[in-house]
Amino acid sequence: MTEGAKTNSQITAGGRFFRFVRPLVLRLLYGLVSLIFISFITFVADEVAPGDAATVRAGEKATVAQIELMRHEMGLDRPWPIRYVEFLGNAAKFDFGNSVVGTQQPINKQLGQALPITMKIALLAILLAAIVGIFLGTVSAVYENKLADRGILSLSTLGVTIPNYVLLPILVYIFALQLNQLPTSWAPDGQRIAPDIYYLLIPVVVLALRPMATLTRLMRASMVDTLKQEFVRLSVAKGVPRWRLYSVHCFRNAIIPVLTAIGTSFGYLLTGSFVVESAYLIPGIGKVAIEAITQRDTPMILASTLVTGALFVIVNLLVDLVLPLIDPRIRESQV
Amino acid sequence: MKKLKGVSPLFWFGAGYLVLLVVFAIFGPTMRHPFDEQVSKPFLTPSSEFWLGTDEIGRDIFARLAYGARISLVIGIVVQMIAVTIGIIVGITSVYANKWISIPVQRFTDGMFAFPDLLLAIMIVGVFQMGVGPVVIGLSVTAWPAIARLVKNQVATLKDREYVVAAKAMGANTPYLVLKHILPHLWGVLLAVMMVDVAATILAESTLSFLGIGVQPPEPSWGQMIQVGNLNKNSYPLLLLWPCLMLSLTIFALNFVGDGLRAIVDPKKNQAI
Repeated sequence: MTEGAKTNSQITAGGRFFRFVRPLVLRLLYGLVSLIFISFITFVADEVAPGDAATVRAGEKATVAQIELMRHEMGLDRPWPIRYVEFLGNAAKFDFGNSVVGTQQPINKQLGQALPITMKIALLAILLAAIVGIFLGTVSAVYENKLADRGILSLSTLGVTIPNYVLLPILVYIFALQLNQLPTSWAPDGQRIAPDIYYLLIPVVVLALRPMATLTRLMRASMVDTLKQEFVRLSVAKGVPRWRLYSVHCFRNAIIPVLTAIGTSFGYLLTGSFVVESAYLIPGIGKVAIEAITQRDTPMILASTLVTGALFVIVNLLVDLVLPLIDPRIRESQV
Repeated sequence: MKKLKGVSPLFWFGAGYLVLLVVFAIFGPTMRHPFDEQVSKPFLTPSSEFWLGTDEIGRDIFARLAYGARISLVIGIVVQMIAVTIGIIVGITSVYANKWISIPVQRFTDGMFAFPDLLLAIMIVGVFQMGVGPVVIGLSVTAWPAIARLVKNQVATLKDREYVVAAKAMGANTPYLVLKHILPHLWGVLLAVMMVDVAATILAESTLSFLGIGVQPPEPSWGQMIQVGNLNKNSYPLLLLWPCLMLSLTIFALNFVGDGLRAIVDPKKNQAI
């Protein structure tokens, strides 16, 4: 009897747990390797590029000797492989050191302030995109090739093609400047004249639009496929009410590819937030990273790069964790 | 020419627009006024002298838009050239090389494909400093995996076609097979995909320039002009309108032409995805 021929009942509880966990551990390792790869590329590219943190920190008027001294003080005169390993070691402890520009604040503190803002906006956006996208996609599929379907599809094409840095100024122009209903830009907690939701509305909607359009199309395609399956016809024949058929029987089948896409959409949300943050003056991680790039704040570039990359990897890992809970077929294939 | 009958009017609209855009990009920047010098008062409304008005420091918007078109097109085309070259080499390698090379190459391509494009481009521009060169490098690095995947899938199916197998049986070696019997079949699909990808590259370049880390002043680009327009949208919304209009029209046109080309070279796949 071969290994594969064992039935489920023959596998011990411990063995089943191991088989369930192993692919997740592998995926975690894969994510870790890609993070190390990203950090390595960024680090080496920074070594190749002219100038370094010492030149920036010493200032524009510094002499060659002063820069050399600064380089020695900062430990930058040691070979780069040693410094890279040191950087990785510190990064594992979430210690990224200090900025080399301005008041040279600890990077942890800056990221600690910026990250929650970005996460809040990104999570609200993905929530909005998922709810609206799944709903519109289902409607579209149920009314396939009818007017509602065509309308939703054209709107979603528009949603994919309009860049967010074009949409955001237009929305601000209409709703903030002409209609005077929403704030023109972000304000920190203490200085707000309207409830939080007013400040979040434009950035969240702009950020959500593109994933919303993608998820709508995906949900539509997936639902159209599901509706063609045998069990749907059987359910109809059995007299299952229409709304129950769509929301219970088909939904769980159709949602799987959409969930995977939510994970990948998150990558878009991260880059989208760079744009939205800089256009709406939100002090999130995108704005911090762009500032670091324009000021050539190397430690900050490395840290924000790693953190955004890590977020992407973690969210996709979470999606992988949730999928088997929803779809028994995936659970079985892993066991 | 019978094939062309099924092509939608949007294709012809897109193609016509693109021809005009190229003419605009070649002659526009110096046609009436220089693009990088103050020629009049700031924030002038359109007139017979300044067709689209002037910007925040009194430069001719018409000339600046044209120069932006030139930069966008050049970056878009150069990046696609690089991406297609790398994509073809990697794609063919991952089909024909032995597994010790092809499997790591495929894993690497998949990894690059999954990672958010623009994030990677921002990182690369971040370390190599800002400007046109780094933008080209950053966008090329992010553009090739999609092409490599496409080439790999196409080559994998073409490889088993009868005429290829027949040529192989007659003693043709692999480089000959690839150059003579496989690559010629790819150009049509690649051209269609390139049109759509040029649009994506132009969008990415505008995003970087909008963020202030792409094309640097005094060289104008659409993304940068949108950013300036965004800052001045209250006092002079026209400054925002022109580059947004140009960018959107260009993206639409490239997509229409790309879709039309795909319908011509591959009629079977002419369905909405």
